[in-house]
Amino acid sequence: MIPHDILTLYSAKMLEYGIAVLFLLLFIPFWRYVQGPAKAPAFARAAGRVPVSRAAEWFLTPADRLFHRGHAWLKGGDDGLVVVGLDDFAAKLVGPVSRVSLPAVGAAVGQGEQGWRLTAADGRSVAMLSPVDGTVVELNPALADSPGLAERDPYGDGWLLKVRPSRLRANQINLLAGNAVRRWMEEAAAGLRGHVAPGLGALAQDGGAPVAGMARAIDPDGWDRLAATFLLTAEEDDHA
Amino acid sequence: MSSPTTAPAAPARSWAADKLFLGLSFWEYAKSLATPGNFVAGLIMAVGLPLMAYRFIFGLGAATNLSQTNPWGIWIGFDLLSGVALAAGGYTLATAVYIFGLEKYHAVVRPAVLTGFLGYLFAVLGLAADLGRPWNLPVPIVYSFGGPSVMFEIAWCVVLYLTVLFMEFLPPIFEWLGWPKARLWAVRMTIGLTVFGVMLSTLHQSSLGALFLMAPTKLHPLWYSPFIPAYFFISSIAAGLSMVIVESALSHRAFQSRADHHTDVDGIALGLARGASIVLFAYFFVKLQGIADGGRWAMLATPYGYWFLVEMIGFILLPSMLFAYGARHSRVALVRWTAAWTVLGIVVNRLNVSVIAMNWNVPDRYVPSFMEVWISITLVTLGVSTFRWIVNRMPVLNAHPEYPDSSSH
Repeated sequence: MIPHDILTLYSAKMLEYGIAVLFLLLFIPFWRYVQGPAKAPAFARAAGRVPVSRAAEWFLTPADRLFHRGHAWLKGGDDGLVVVGLDDFAAKLVGPVSRVSLPAVGAAVGQGEQGWRLTAADGRSVAMLSPVDGTVVELNPALADSPGLAERDPYGDGWLLKVRPSRLRANQINLLAGNAVRRWMEEAAAGLRGHVAPGLGALAQDGGAPVAGMARAIDPDGWDRLAATFLLTAEEDDHA
Repeated sequence: MSSPTTAPAAPARSWAADKLFLGLSFWEYAKSLATPGNFVAGLIMAVGLPLMAYRFIFGLGAATNLSQTNPWGIWIGFDLLSGVALAAGGYTLATAVYIFGLEKYHAVVRPAVLTGFLGYLFAVLGLAADLGRPWNLPVPIVYSFGGPSVMFEIAWCVVLYLTVLFMEFLPPIFEWLGWPKARLWAVRMTIGLTVFGVMLSTLHQSSLGALFLMAPTKLHPLWYSPFIPAYFFISSIAAGLSMVIVESALSHRAFQSRADHHTDVDGIALGLARGASIVLFAYFFVKLQGIADGGRWAMLATPYGYWFLVEMIGFILLPSMLFAYGARHSRVALVRWTAAWTVLGIVVNRLNVSVIAMNWNVPDRYVPSFMEVWISITLVTLGVSTFRWIVNRMPVLNAHPEYPDSSSH
């Protein structure tokens, strides 16, 4: 007589449970294998001269960056870290910066959450969103002395943070690259054009380079709110 | 009344020349058709279409080797079951892009939906050839639903999903016709249609498998399982993904002048390969569960068992591993060949279930007649030709110049 133990109740059932458990155990390494080694994004390897396109003929978008809709970029390095900065649109929108308030080294940043804050000479400031989840491992030391770098050279010496990403692969889904960047920048430029119309028509139609601090040129009194709208932090500032 | 305007530099081309003859005059267009590929296609159809007429005039008995014992042949196993499984790319990709938001695959949604639509359309044509009384095809739709029959669900799902696929493909048709308002209206339906399409596909991919639940004594025990609806559904996902890999590689080569060169066909293939690899891996274990559940281990050491193992290992586990290796090491060529192999494997599976392992213990074996084979080839040729005709005219592989974002809908 077989004792009525759950595992001996029906040997085929036990085998089925065994197959299910085996599947789950094998699935984990298989999944990891299929997804490939956790490497810095391929775009980081693009060496030498990087093609730069002027989206809507206004804003530089180097092809070796991934962009977040909050107008921040990130770039992978060989060390597994990513460099984060603000894009040309944000730089030209906000204009001359008197202070960049970065999170502390060791602080956690989250994609789509407030990452840092840019303060202008008039004391008003605007928050920006982090493009990536992870831990801050380094701040750009040059910004302490010359915060204006962030605006003058947003893709070069004006970088903001180095971050050790915690879920880069998942984050990448929400980042833009290639043609999508151009399209998105054109949309952003079109959105700006809507605001420009009243007092700044000449700027848009001339096709000339946009002035530094476009937001202030459009709305001197409420520029910070206008900028926050484009940088997707308007709501956070309302709560603040 | 009419204000004098500057005359156009060249007379406007007629609508037919513009839309149908690729901007050529009729004679130029007719000349451009004289290619080796068209010659072969024409030859197949020149024989196949009269054969189809023969089948409809003289009946199934005259044209096929089907009998009361073996009522289902390759028109069901190949044209219908395989055709529908391989058309699954439509719902798989539409779901990935419109519901899961995997924007990377936008560029292949339109060809996938078109492949899905044509796959279903020609599966239904194959079905019409197979039915003894094809004129009764509308009966379950129009009256006498026959609710308790599994055929009820299949009939309704195929009719509804064929309609959904057609409507999903309306934006490129309206772009081609130059009807912006109708296009906008069609684009707005995308999400709704996608959701509806997934529901219908889930239902009837599996219900095609459920058909075989009614034949527990006829189907070989290794293929028969209460899980067979799940097998059909899961394998249709792998079939759809593989078909999109194959189809996008072929069409971007064949339609170089049409294709959008910014599309990252290789990257898309590698991404789809990851998905197919995981689906096949899971499918393998679900099939294994069927064997354990039915206690069929001993049957593996029989001739049918060896053939079953060929399917399990050669057409499921092997492509799963090759897809995984190819995706991890970015071997695009390997991924494409594996996709073609998987497509073949799905056809083998559907033929196994419906023809090869069906009536396995009956002495009267079914072998398709020459006419059945030729008509099947004719249907595939018609499908490929229709695909070419549409891709050469409508914005499928490329965005329409007036709607630069159109490949996203």
